[in-house]
Formats: sequence, C-alpha cells, structure tokens
Amino acid sequence: MNRINQKLQENKKLLSIYFTAGYPSLNDTVSIIQDLEKNGVDMIEIGLPFSDPLADGPTIQDSSTQALKNGMTTEVLFNQLKDIRKTVNIPLIIMGYFNPMLQYGVEAFCKKCKEIGIDGLIIPDLPVDVYHEEYQATFEKYGLINVFLITPQTSDERIRFIDSVSNGFIYMVSSASTTGAKSGFGNEQAAYFERINSLNLKNPQIVGFGISNNSTFKAATKYAKGAIIGSAFVKHITANNAQNIDAFVNSILK
Amino acid sequence: MEKTKTMQQNLSNSAKTDMQLKICGMKYQDNIKQVAALKPDYLGFIFYEKSPRHFDGVMPQLPEGIKKTGVFVNENLNTVIETVNKFKLQAVQLHGEESAFYCNMLNTSKQLNEPVEVIKVFSVKDGFNFEVLKQYENVCDYFLFDTKGKLPGGNGYTFDWSLLNNYPSTKPYFLSGGIGLDQVDDIKKFKESKAAKYCYALDVNSKFEIAPGLKNIAILKEFQNKLSDKTMQENYNVDDKGYYGNFGGAYIPEMLYPNVEELRQNYLKVMAEPEFKKEFDKLLKDYVGRPSPLYFAKRLSEKYNTKIYLKREDLNHTGAHKINNTIGQILMAQRLGKKRIIAETGAGQHGVATATVCALMGLECIVYMGEIDIARQAPNVARMKMLGATVIPAKSGSRTLKDATNEAIRDWINNPVDTHYIIGSAIGPHPYPDMVTRFQSVISEEIKWQLKEHEGRENPDYVVACIGGGSNAAGTYYHFLHEPNVNIIAVEAAGLGVNSGESAATSVLGKEGIIHGCKTLLMQTNDGQITEPYSISAGLDYPGVGPMHAHLAKTGRAEFMSITDDEAMKSGLELCELEGIIPAIESSHALAIFKQKQFKPNDVVVMSLSGRGDKDLNNYIEYFKI
Repeated sequence: MNRINQKLQENKKLLSIYFTAGYPSLNDTVSIIQDLEKNGVDMIEIGLPFSDPLADGPTIQDSSTQALKNGMTTEVLFNQLKDIRKTVNIPLIIMGYFNPMLQYGVEAFCKKCKEIGIDGLIIPDLPVDVYHEEYQATFEKYGLINVFLITPQTSDERIRFIDSVSNGFIYMVSSASTTGAKSGFGNEQAAYFERINSLNLKNPQIVGFGISNNSTFKAATKYAKGAIIGSAFVKHITANNAQNIDAFVNSILK
Repeated sequence: MEKTKTMQQNLSNSAKTDMQLKICGMKYQDNIKQVAALKPDYLGFIFYEKSPRHFDGVMPQLPEGIKKTGVFVNENLNTVIETVNKFKLQAVQLHGEESAFYCNMLNTSKQLNEPVEVIKVFSVKDGFNFEVLKQYENVCDYFLFDTKGKLPGGNGYTFDWSLLNNYPSTKPYFLSGGIGLDQVDDIKKFKESKAAKYCYALDVNSKFEIAPGLKNIAILKEFQNKLSDKTMQENYNVDDKGYYGNFGGAYIPEMLYPNVEELRQNYLKVMAEPEFKKEFDKLLKDYVGRPSPLYFAKRLSEKYNTKIYLKREDLNHTGAHKINNTIGQILMAQRLGKKRIIAETGAGQHGVATATVCALMGLECIVYMGEIDIARQAPNVARMKMLGATVIPAKSGSRTLKDATNEAIRDWINNPVDTHYIIGSAIGPHPYPDMVTRFQSVISEEIKWQLKEHEGRENPDYVVACIGGGSNAAGTYYHFLHEPNVNIIAVEAAGLGVNSGESAATSVLGKEGIIHGCKTLLMQTNDGQITEPYSISAGLDYPGVGPMHAHLAKTGRAEFMSITDDEAMKSGLELCELEGIIPAIESSHALAIFKQKQFKPNDVVVMSLSGRGDKDLNNYIEYFKI
C-alpha cells in the first residue's frame, strides 16, 4: 500500500509541511526532510521550484527564485533524494508546476519518482480533466497518487468528479487565494468545510492555505483529516537558516 | 552495442503524415546555423574532397532533433568511423560503390561511439534494376534514390519518379536528385502515388543554393511552407476542447477554474447576441474610429517593387489595435456582471486601452506592470493614472510583462467572484486566445471589403503582421486562414540576433511547453524554466506566442521571419521618410521584411500597421540620436 494511504489510516490529525527544495541553500533539502520527520511531521511536500509559480504568494515565489539561483533543477532534486528512503519513512510528495515535468518527460518523471520512493504529486496547473484523459494511466502505472485541489468556489459536481479520480486525499484550499496570502478562518471557512463534510467523499481532505500556527492548525483539522503548512514554514527556515525545525513543529503541535 | 532501430516507427509516421526533409551539402558555419533554424530532419555534410561542397569547417552546435549526416564516397571504412565519432554524426550516407559487406561492417562496428543510421545511395536514370537492393536489405536502414549523372550527387536534375512504382521493397527510402521549388506540385502528385508509399524523406541540395554549399534560406523556407500547405484540410480555428492542433487548452490552477469556465460557457453565446454585436460595432465606429483605413503605400511600394497596403490600426483611438479587444471584453465583463477589471501590460498599450474602456464604462481598473517597464514607459503609466486606473508594479521575477501577467493571474485567484481579467494578447487559457482573436478579427473583416474596393478582389497574396503574443496578427489573419491562396507571414523580434541570446524569436527558439495557462511554443531552459526574452520593442518582448500561432508555425501555414532591433528601427524611420507615418517599433518589425524577402511586382501585400510610434519616441530619439 502506498505510504500516503497508510498514513491516512492512522487515527490522528496529520501535519503536512511544504518547503521549497534547494532553499535556503541548495543542499538543505535532505536535512530539512530528516528534521521534519524526526520532529513528528506526518507528511512532506517537497516543492520543485518553478520560474513562474502562478498559484503562489511572495514567500514561496521568493524561495523558488532563490532555489533556482542556487542551482536547483529536476535532475539535481532527484539526485539529492536518491537515497532518501534509507533514512526517511513518512510519505513524500513532490509539489510543482507542470512545465518542468513536461520537459523532463511525464513518464520519465513518474518512473524516477517511483525509483526514489516518492509517493505522490501535487501539480496545481495540471487540471483534473487533462490528467484523467492523458496522464492518469501513467501515474498509476508507477503507483503514484496525484492530489487535486478544491476551493470554496469549486462546485459540488466538480468535487465529486475530483473525488472519483483521486485515490489518496483531496487538498482543500481554505479560501480563494494564492499561498501565504490570508491567515485565520472565519464563518465562511466553517461553512465551506461543513459543505465538503456533508458530501461524504471517499477521499479524506487535508486543508491547506492560511494555516500558520497551532490555532489555525486546530481550526482546520476540526473538519479535516489534516492540514498543510507552507509559507509559514518557509518563513521559518528563511529566518533560521534551515535550523530549529523542532521549535517550529512543536509550536504547531503543542 | 545495441542499435536503436526506429525505422518502422518512422515509416508508419511518414506514410500517414509528411515526409522528412534532408538538406544536404552544408558547408559554411553561419549558413549551417540558419538552415538548422528551419528544423529540417537531416542535415548533410559531404566528406568527399572532390565535391565543391566538401565540408572541412567547424561543426556548430545544432538544435536537438536534427540528424547530422555524413556523406561519403568509397571512403576507407575506418575514416568513416573516425569521422562519425569526431563529429557525432547520427547518419551516414554512402554515395559510392560500397558493398553490402561494407554496409554491414559499418552497421555493426564496435568502434562507433553511438549507433548510426546507414543510408545507401542508388543512382537512377532511365531505368533501374531493383534486384540490386536485395543484398542491402538487411545491412542498411534506408535507401536513397538519386539521379545518375557525371558526379556522385549534386547534378541538379530529377529522374523519372514513376520508376519507383515498381519499388519491390518495404524499406523506407529518401527521394533525391534535382528537387527544387519547381517540383512542389510534382511532389504533391507523387505523394498520392503508389510509388510514394515507402518514401520516407526528401533530400534537397543544389536547387537551393546561392553558391555551392551556401544555401538560400528564403527559398528553403518557401519550399517547406509550400510542401506543408495543408490549408484545405487543416483547421486553424480552435477546436471544441480549446486546442489548435497540439496547442492551447487551459492549464490553470483549480482556483481559476470557475472563472475561466464561466467565460468558456458564455463567450460565444454573448458574442452572438444581436444587442452585444450592435453595441460592439457602434463603439468601434463612434469611439474607436473604425473602419481603420486600408492605405496603399505608393512610395514604399515603388521602392520595393510590389504593391503594399497598410492596415492603419495605428489610427485607432489610443493608438493601436489593442482597443478592439478591450472594448469587446469590457462589454463581456458587463454581461457577466463583473465590477472590477484587471489587466497586465508590457509597454503600457494594453494597459492604456483597458484603462480607457474602464473609464468609459465606469468600472474599477487595476493594471499590473513590471517594475522595470514602469520605469521605461513613464508616459503610458501617466496615461493610465489619468484615466483612473491603479497601476501596481510587478516586483517578482524579471519584473517585466511575464511577471505582470503572473501578478494579474494571482490577483484573479484572490478575487474570484467580481473580477474579470482582460488579457491583452491571443494567449492564456482557453477561451482567451479564441475570444481575443474574434474581437480582433474585425481587422481582416475590413481588409476584405476594403481590398475589394482597391483591387477588385478580397484576398491579397500576402497578409503580414508582427507577433509578440500575437493579437494583431490573429486579427489580421483570421478571415484568411482557410484561403489557400493567401500566404501568411508572421514577423518575430530577433532582438540582437536569433542566436545572440538576446532575442524574442519564439518560433525558432521556443519549445512546446506551458505558459500562462496554455500549451504553446515558449522560450525555456532544458529544465522547463521560462526564460527572459529580449527585444527593443516592449510589445514583442514575450517568451511565448499565442497557441494559434504555434499551430500556424508547426503546420507551416504561416511563414515565420525574424527581424533584429536594427532592421526594425531602420525600417521604422524609412516609413516616416517615405510615407509620413511614424510607426510603433512593433509594426516596424513587419515593415523590415521587404529587405529580406523579394515580392513580385503584382503581389498584393497587406500589412498590419498595428500601432503608432508616439509611445516610442524616446527609443527612436535615443537610437538615431535625433
């Protein structure tokens, strides 16, 4: 069974952390992953940086720009991760935009992920219909789980379609925004989370966007299986030069 | 070493689609680069000292996908192998009396660093004994049939291709010997014949030369275009799923899906409403000042000895074609109940056109503009502000048009309900490229009836436009796309030169990829990171090209030409002097083609003069030290 599915079966709320690979320094990738696991993080999204990250706010944009300047490429990332399964057991997801994968070759990319032990992918600009028609078979051939986003504006009908195509979890974007733009949850989010709950989807949901601390983590996981923190963590490693990861994780899980 | 055999696959491709092209007899470094830019499938280098096209120079770096082919005549096998290794050749063409044994030795040699395709040549004159092929069947990858002449190749005349009706083999072959521009019709006929079933490639050489070994790029381009002329069968409009051939689609984050989907479901319906059309047409007439004149440029025509008409989009309100689209989209936004308008702009022309229509309709307007562009286009920034728009600097990435577009998209993600994004070019996720094209198609609609008044016919011989993202070009071509007698020319900005590293010639430098929500040709690194283009013209300074144009390039329906900064600036000044019109630098790129391409005296060439040069005065002043 895929590590993501295994993890989702655990009887607890999951904390997933996103960070940009190759940032702040090119070779920080592996040690950040190891530190996150050591401190009790359940799942990691490894950001493959892109020159034009449309869905991201300034924090992740800047970290991507810096990572590319540091020399990060698809090939470099795969090399950094080649022995990752010797030390790390939690699910690992690569999150990135579609063009670098397209240039690497979608099948070659999936094959490499399987070899390394990557469990899933999140590709914000690969729409579910294109995935379903052109790439789903390839992803499944290599045992990869593709994770789709839904937003407060996504219709029930489309959510059901996304649920039918998914085989891991659904990434529930908390509000209409780019990453790192908004913080905190109000009544609007509560209504949205309840709407999704009432759909009784086959895939559990993990909330992302707008989660930065213990209180937003708790609020998000009240309705969902888990929550993803991205920009807040990237800010932390910027300020701490990729150190003191224990302090960050403890502050969320306290 | 296991040899990769791709023949069968190639064969099935060639039977269904087009034949491959080999251009042979390459000699001069710069010329090789120019020919390589045409992306032939094979480039031939003759390693035979007695040939006037003998290659003894330095091999330049060639784009991927072009197979370097060494041509040898009765050469020592070891020399062939050394040459293959030295120049990293992917194919060897044996033009002498090499035996089957020799071919086999080469084919299976362990001294080759990489496997090579072996092409064995046979010369044909009045007849041919196909029996000789048998012994070569299993030792080479392709046959090549050339005209028998005094020299081994390069004799410059064709043989009777109908002899190949008796071709007994299933091995794919190259057709060679005297093929030139005059043979295009014969080739098309040949393609339909039984003989062509296994014809894999065309091999051309001496008929495309200025001097032995020096190829004529313009004629080669024309040959490629004419051969791939599928005007009648091919659809150049968008299909149901939002694609032009392989290009287009909507590669957008889920956050944008509801907005884009709402537009997709409504745009054609809204555009077809009589009330919408009436309002659109009325504004184009009374507010924009349409129809824009189709002006016969007499002195320019005399200078270049052809008939040049300028479609005067520069005379529109706000000084360019951009307003045709913003009028259409603001009416669309109103119909969809949107209260807030966002736009991206490079030089500021589209920003001004958007700010203008927002003022006209009393809607809030936010324009994203790269921080660097804000600094170099101060007058347009002031215009937008006077028109009531808020100009927000894009501070990410390279701080130019590409980043302004990213910021506008991010704004839309953050404001999904009340906001409409007016994209200024024929790019973006479907339905934008098609919607923008339809709003701009008024340009070619007018050309048709205006040309009828001037020339007594609706269709010119050529329509020409400059291309950044490609909105004025899309509008200029639209009603001619399926007219086989109208040649389409697209002019890209070469910046400091196509191979200088400072260029925006996307059709040459771009690879298929995804930018701003659509699959198209774009300039990017091997790793898929989008790179920064360069052109003196801010309006052409874009790393991608609209998906319709990518399709026109790929199918050969349009001929793409690249013009450098210097060529454009000179042609801009020339128009001032000859016709009393100061063109935008974008449009000056289109004007510069007359120095590259010779038209016939009776050809009618209609060129879109997409904008006026007022906004570029500082550039002109600086460049010419006026």
